[in-house]
Amino acid sequence: MSNTFSNLTAILNSKAPFSNTAGKDALDIALIFGSFEQPTSLFFQGDGVWQLIQEQNGTIISVKDYLKTFAAFEFYDLENIYVCQESLIQRGLTTDFHIDNVQVLAKGDFAKKLAIHHTILRF
Amino acid sequence: MNKLAVVVTTPPYSNLSVTALEYIETALKSGIELVGVFFYQDGVIHANQQVQIASDEFQCLTQWQALQLTYKLPLHLCITAGEKRGLNDEDTNNIHPIFTVSGLGELVELANKADRVVQF
Repeated sequence: MSNTFSNLTAILNSKAPFSNTAGKDALDIALIFGSFEQPTSLFFQGDGVWQLIQEQNGTIISVKDYLKTFAAFEFYDLENIYVCQESLIQRGLTTDFHIDNVQVLAKGDFAKKLAIHHTILRF
Repeated sequence: MNKLAVVVTTPPYSNLSVTALEYIETALKSGIELVGVFFYQDGVIHANQQVQIASDEFQCLTQWQALQLTYKLPLHLCITAGEKRGLNDEDTNNIHPIFTVSGLGELVELANKADRVVQF
């Protein structure tokens, strides 16, 4: 039903988690939009898919492990989480994610899903 | 139904910021209502009045000042991103006065007010 909102926002993650702050900056926006009750979806594409992979621990390399906070998405009503299947295949990754309710979409469906959003912020 | 919001994430020493400024200026000259510019990530460095860009290079701050003066353009700064990059609205107060100290909640507001959001 949230697809009918005219202000539907997509946050597109395209960077691996720990070499820069893009993922954390995107997460901060997602949590704020969630807490303001804005219908918001999260997309993971390209190296962004690494943010969903299990058993990563930033603290070993002295980076705050912001990936742990992904477990709170449901609490913030962030329930639409999409990952690009081709990006996973290209990187030899499986669908064993560290959070539940991630929808794996073929690239055409991924693009279509993204296109229904009113605002896209890319990190 | 012609309202625009712009998000700037690139620093003043990046040519991508020149593209953002040219886009914004063209939009304003075309009569498009710009509800505001939101500075995030390295974009907040635009607000630091202690940044010195060599005089033979493009001066973003001069352009922001001109746009703000001519069009009363709201320039919002994410203060969390700013503090990480040495900006301070209390002690040293190195934030240029044309910028408004804001938070991510302001981005929510702008995204709601605008018919279109463009990110640089």
